[in-house]
Amino acid sequence: MKEHGLTLLPQDIPLRDFHISYGAKMIPFAGFNMPINYKLGIINENKNVRNSSGIFDVSHMGQILIKNTDENIKILEKYIPLNLNKIIKNRNYYSFLLNSDAGIIDDIMISKIIFNNELYFFIVYNASRKIEDEKIFLNTSESILLNNNCLFAIQGPDSHKILNKKINISENMNFLDIIITNYKSENILISRSGYTGEDGFEISIPVKFAENFLKDLINDNKTILCGLGSRDSLRLEAGLSLYGNELNENITPIEAGLTWALDKNRLNKSLNGFKKLLYQLDNIPKKKKIGIISTNKSMIRNGMNIVNKNKQILGLVTSACFSPNLNKSIAMGYIDKEINNSIDLYCVIRDKLEIMEQTKLPFIKKSYKKGGLK
Amino acid sequence: MIEKKFTEDHEWVSIDGNIATVGISNHAQESLGDIVFIELPVIGKTVKAKEEICVIESVKAASDIYSPLDGEIIEVNNSLENEPSIINQEAENNGWIFKIKLAEQSQYEELMNHEDYQKFLKK
Repeated sequence: MKEHGLTLLPQDIPLRDFHISYGAKMIPFAGFNMPINYKLGIINENKNVRNSSGIFDVSHMGQILIKNTDENIKILEKYIPLNLNKIIKNRNYYSFLLNSDAGIIDDIMISKIIFNNELYFFIVYNASRKIEDEKIFLNTSESILLNNNCLFAIQGPDSHKILNKKINISENMNFLDIIITNYKSENILISRSGYTGEDGFEISIPVKFAENFLKDLINDNKTILCGLGSRDSLRLEAGLSLYGNELNENITPIEAGLTWALDKNRLNKSLNGFKKLLYQLDNIPKKKKIGIISTNKSMIRNGMNIVNKNKQILGLVTSACFSPNLNKSIAMGYIDKEINNSIDLYCVIRDKLEIMEQTKLPFIKKSYKKGGLK
Repeated sequence: MIEKKFTEDHEWVSIDGNIATVGISNHAQESLGDIVFIELPVIGKTVKAKEEICVIESVKAASDIYSPLDGEIIEVNNSLENEPSIINQEAENNGWIFKIKLAEQSQYEELMNHEDYQKFLKK
């Protein structure tokens, strides 16, 4: 990572040594040294999550508590297209920070919780966007940056059973519910959420308890440690967008196919970029997000053009991976909205025109516990 | 069979008479991660050392495989087409990729032996 002529070394997450001792292969990602995979490899990790369970250490992500005050809400609502007074307590919402042109500064999870007897917003945001996001959060008052908390995600159908052995989690907790619970006289935050398309939980826990907590979870032989490699293939199979790939400052939530996450009543002058959003609601944007599957064994890669049979460019691949569950190369990308569904799409892979199957997203059926994201 | 030798591009070579068997090293397979596709070279093709002759795709990236020596491709490991993961399991034996009929023997001598390759990896 290079910035302003200085070379910044990637930071370490608190449990770096623990992961290396469990066979993690580390790579620099978004300014952090992160496990990309462990000894079983990306494909096995992906399958373990779909079939039983896997645990990701995502402590590189930003976590902040912002006090629920009128002033803070005013600051946040300029960027966040939700009514923060009306969001339901103990529920998670997928949302964005928007720039003045309705471009996505970051995509976030936000919830309202009671922390030390006061109402706070809990926001989880991308590691790659910490600098930009924290510039905004800095304007709020009485906020608590949770730099001393690890963030773990346990994902897959057996996750509830496994986590429940360690901490009592009500069977009534639904997807996107979030609770704050006492653990060894400190607060830990547990939400039923994730980034894999499976049932699962994300746990924000003080660093001092984190290693033992994680050790206890992986002692269960149904779950394994998983790295960013399988996390990426799981989220892509689930058709979920990734900041930096599908989302950036030049794309609006509507163009990204995420209109459902906007509170339409917030499209007024209190929100950044509201004019553009209102315009786009009435005038279908030029781009649409699609899924494609390689029909032979060649692999689609990020950044490839999507073309017609004459190699004319119709769009761009924004994310691609090998799908262990489809046993095929899959990808997401944007193409021109005007393009007829009946037109054959191709990618040029090593100078060969390879035909793609166009498909709806997600690639796999999601298995959330009731409710959940649309 | 003479001892295995290695290239700086992480291929291994073993020769038997004037036939060289080529694969990728165990180190290469580990850094590539799960291999999901291989485009095998064409039998009968004349190749030069350091020439790109086939491609391996892993879950992480596509990598070119270079010919370690001058010669002609005379055989490919067809079982890799359906099961490229053999390379992950047995990179330096059953995961061999192709065989070359050597144009000249002396190039082989210039490659690294196992010990030199291990030193090269630590650089």
